[in-house]
Amino acid sequence: MGILSELIKGLRVTGGIMIRTIAGNELVTTEYPKEMRVKPQRFHGRHVLNRYPDGMEKCIGCELCAGACPAQCIYVRGEDNDPDNPKSPGERFGYVYEINMLRCIFCGLCVEACPTEAITMTHLFEFSTTNREDAIYTKETLLMDRRGSVPHMFPDDELVDLDELDSADGWVRATAPSGVAAYQGIEMWQGTPGPGDWSPEPTQEERDRLSRDRTSDG
Amino acid sequence: MPGPCQIAVSCRHVACTASGGLGVAMGEAGPEHVTITIDGVSHEVPAGALVIKAAQDRGTYIPRFCWHERMNPVGMCRMCLVEVQGPRGPMLVTACTNNVADGMVVDTRGPTVKKAQEAVLEFLLANHPLDCPVCDKGGECPLQDQAFSHGPGESRFVEIKRNFAKPIPISDLVLLDRERCILCARCTRFSDEISGDPLIEFKSRANVTEVNTFPDLPFSSYFSGNTIQICPVGALTSAQYRFRARPWDLQMVESSGMHDTAHPRLSVQVSQNEVLRLVGVDNDATNHGWLSDKDRFGFQYLTSEERLTMPLVRQDGQLVETTWAEALDRVAERIGLIRDEDGGEVFAVIGGGHGTNEDAYAISKFARVVLETNNVDARLDDALSSHFLAATADRGLIADIDGADTILLWGPDLKEEHPTLYLRVRRAAQELGVRLVVIHPRATGLDDRASMKLTYRPGGGFALLDEVADGKHPELRQALSADRVVAIVGQASFADGPQLAESVAAYVRNKAGSARILPLARRGNIFGALDMGLAPDLLPGRVAPDHAGRAALAESWGEPPAARGKDTRAMLEGIDSGEIRFLLLVGADPVRDVPDPRRALLAMDSAEYVVSIDLFLNDSNREADVVLPAAGFAEKDGTVTNLEGRVQKVNVIAPIPGQGRPDWAILDDLAERAGRPIGLANAESIAKEISEVAPAYTGITWDHLEWEARDGAVVPLSGSQPLSHIPVALKGDNAPTAPLLLHVGRTLYDDGVMLRHSPSLRPLARGAVVHLNPEDAKKAGAQDGHPVRVVTSHGEGEFSAILDEGTPEGVVYVPFNQPGGAPLGTDAVVRVTAVGR
Amino acid sequence: MATTAPGNLLMTTIDRAARWARTRSMFPASFGLACCAIEMMATGAAHYDLGRFGMEVFRASPRQSDLMVVAGRVSQKMAPVLRQVYDQMPDPKWVISMGACASTGGMFNNYALVQGVDQVVPVDIYVPGCPPGPQSLMHGILTLHDKIMKGEINN
Repeated sequence: MGILSELIKGLRVTGGIMIRTIAGNELVTTEYPKEMRVKPQRFHGRHVLNRYPDGMEKCIGCELCAGACPAQCIYVRGEDNDPDNPKSPGERFGYVYEINMLRCIFCGLCVEACPTEAITMTHLFEFSTTNREDAIYTKETLLMDRRGSVPHMFPDDELVDLDELDSADGWVRATAPSGVAAYQGIEMWQGTPGPGDWSPEPTQEERDRLSRDRTSDG
Repeated sequence: MPGPCQIAVSCRHVACTASGGLGVAMGEAGPEHVTITIDGVSHEVPAGALVIKAAQDRGTYIPRFCWHERMNPVGMCRMCLVEVQGPRGPMLVTACTNNVADGMVVDTRGPTVKKAQEAVLEFLLANHPLDCPVCDKGGECPLQDQAFSHGPGESRFVEIKRNFAKPIPISDLVLLDRERCILCARCTRFSDEISGDPLIEFKSRANVTEVNTFPDLPFSSYFSGNTIQICPVGALTSAQYRFRARPWDLQMVESSGMHDTAHPRLSVQVSQNEVLRLVGVDNDATNHGWLSDKDRFGFQYLTSEERLTMPLVRQDGQLVETTWAEALDRVAERIGLIRDEDGGEVFAVIGGGHGTNEDAYAISKFARVVLETNNVDARLDDALSSHFLAATADRGLIADIDGADTILLWGPDLKEEHPTLYLRVRRAAQELGVRLVVIHPRATGLDDRASMKLTYRPGGGFALLDEVADGKHPELRQALSADRVVAIVGQASFADGPQLAESVAAYVRNKAGSARILPLARRGNIFGALDMGLAPDLLPGRVAPDHAGRAALAESWGEPPAARGKDTRAMLEGIDSGEIRFLLLVGADPVRDVPDPRRALLAMDSAEYVVSIDLFLNDSNREADVVLPAAGFAEKDGTVTNLEGRVQKVNVIAPIPGQGRPDWAILDDLAERAGRPIGLANAESIAKEISEVAPAYTGITWDHLEWEARDGAVVPLSGSQPLSHIPVALKGDNAPTAPLLLHVGRTLYDDGVMLRHSPSLRPLARGAVVHLNPEDAKKAGAQDGHPVRVVTSHGEGEFSAILDEGTPEGVVYVPFNQPGGAPLGTDAVVRVTAVGR
Repeated sequence: MATTAPGNLLMTTIDRAARWARTRSMFPASFGLACCAIEMMATGAAHYDLGRFGMEVFRASPRQSDLMVVAGRVSQKMAPVLRQVYDQMPDPKWVISMGACASTGGMFNNYALVQGVDQVVPVDIYVPGCPPGPQSLMHGILTLHDKIMKGEINN
């Protein structure tokens, strides 16, 4: 008899909680493909390569991320910028940029190493693949488009929620250099002008010509 | 405190003695020592040394930008300020321009010094852009490192930095970024003092000073790459290496440059299995850290698309790719057939001068054991006799140049053919006061440092030597009768023939108190190849193939063939006449390489069976029956021997493209298939076998070279013969007397197969040009830059004329093997006519 | 055992049904090797609840499981064990390589670790992450479902 009463006592707790979760809306389970748990602000998801507001790539191909990477999953090669049609400010841009997502340990050292905040991490976490090749993300996949979202390797995959990008911190950091939205639209964050913004000093020949002109004028 | 001028003058001498060469080489007692105190610790240092050098040798690093161990100090950058207790109290002086004195008290890290260093760095960084992430120097930059270790951390300068157009190409190889320049004068001093072509200089004054080239005059020095290496910032960068990699993704290994026989030490740097750059390594024995641009930039052929990757065999007139087994079986079968029919006399092996000693040994053993022939030659008909090159008892060391009284240079233009040696000779003549005598048919790169220069007409070398012997040139005789004479001899002109150099050497040997000979030959490892027996009259270890020599080898090789073999010229003639039925080319391109290519062309056309082991299809092996892909520089381990007999280790770091294999592996496999195994397991075991078989190489193992003799081990001259057997002066009666005589000489950049496949150096070849004295040009009606027709009895072709005061009247100078240039042969008599008249 | 279903019109629904059945109750073999296993356990717990996919039962016996989730770094010594477990699983069976270490060795590029479990067993799904969160793992599982639904039945 005693056993039965103990059993009922125990099941009452179970039943009570069951009724409370169902009726009282206290279910903790997230129905994952249908709804997602909000990721913490600093979640380390897949990487993106950002752009400046004017559309230029932030990546200058300096390979500091590759040097910092403890898993050696980043491969970068720089290349000369075409002065007439530059991809990034300055002389050099990232010509090849590849991350092997399967090697990557999402430590974020690349983000810290990056001198231009070109590489940042998003909240995207859905990138399981069926083969190893697909896990090597090239610049095509990593580079943010001008709207501020990144192309996904599997855009047709119904499991992927591209809208989630809008809430990804990568987007915020991409458009505001120091991470504050108020900076949006401000060209650079330091006082000195960036490369290519002003004309070079006159050469000796030009200087000579100028002084000659001045004397002949006067 | 003495003024800067005084310092500069007084230190010139110090730099010489401090860097060692003279004192050591002359066998004097070591310098006296004084006691100084560095940071509270007292040290014994050589008297007269610079403070910065003395401190460095005692383990205290004083930061510096402008001071370089191999150059004279200037005190430009002020980074090396230290506090010295002087008679009037402590004062800041530059450690690079002050000599140590007995009892000197030096403080390198006190608060005053720290403040000075921080101030200097803050000033240097006032205009230096902070673009380290895109700068090629970033990660290996002295300014970056020292700003980090000695800098103030932040700058008070908020003003806009200087802004120049950048980068500007100052030559085909070097890019200049003036924004980054900190005006240390390393590049300007190098090109002025070391390489002797001051093409880069400061211009303007004060705060607008910038480094630049002269208008319309590119930085076309043969040594421009060194300025990139010594630049302490990213102001001078390499066009070839620009943005290819960063220091942290480079793997590196030490090796030797194989473009000339001096074997400068260098570091091969590789990323993603691709050789990306070569950097000079300071080595007292050979290069002092300098490299010529050919040594530095001439490696791109390794990754050329046209590299052979698969064995090729001829099928229905076409070379088709096949497997190693198929290709080697074919060759082995043919070797067996021919050997059974005609014996070993009909085989010929040409080449082997570009590989390692291990490769050369394999070729030598393969030829003697499998082919049963002594018809092997690594010289391609353009070098001196094998005994003279390899087995001269009076052979000197490169370092002997520094301690000599007189250097006699009778041979090719060192600047063009042996750039590493050129820098050594230049330094000796300029800094160490060695008397330099240059004898060459026309102007050479060393003329401005020569105390005596003689020219002679091509082919008239013996006549000149006769004159000297008869006492017509007393100054020269006097110079040669000095105590220590170094004679650097080689073939100055194709018209001279090889015997001239030997006679010169023998003459000097008889004349001087103690003469040392440095024989010159082309092809990177020719001396190693000859030491391994790649000559018709030598066996490994400079042993003559006489009875005793062969008996010594018999134990490990079986009895080598007794008959004396043919040299390259005889082999090529033999192929033409049908005496030779089987030709093996190992990294050799006779059609492009021998002085008279007609003979090689004929031979290649009429050869019965040609097998080539090479990196590329070239003019000689395009018609071969079997072509086997080999391993190139940095793709194989081994040892090499330079012109002074110094054996150094070269190391592997890059993979061989495709299915290529090292020469020794190919030959070992082939020998196995031909039924006469030569038992070579790997390169290190070959080195061990060499040390057992070749008398001169006893004890030279890889372990020894890697751990004990990092600078290389000089093989003893045992087995060598004195020069006395060479007749001194043949009468130069048969010197050609035509009004115009042809002087064909090699240049640094030519149309050789390696440079042809190196995109950065290829455009630097001079092209089909002929140098004419303006007087001769006037007679021929030729104008500068216009085409002229040059005709000899061996060939003719159209060349672009260059009017050149450096070429004496009556001499016509044509650089050998240039893209578009026709071969002219060895005949000195020449006619020049203007085209279109 | 591979099932061979005749590929005709009538059998397509059966085909689909078989595939569906396979996806609905996959029993994972527990093969937690390192930190990834913590996330794998979390995936099975209430907040994510693998039971929704009918795979809450992590079997201790390989003979009762269909799916091996290799969660964590595979040392050279573990490799034969892992292979044996895989061999003992009945067909059809699948492997998910969970996390950087299992997939490629991750940052442990050294002599002790297998550089990718696909050197030992055939891998169906690679889940990047270090470690992958429960939702990443579930994405991997859903991708596997997708693969099974689209794939050949006798695969």
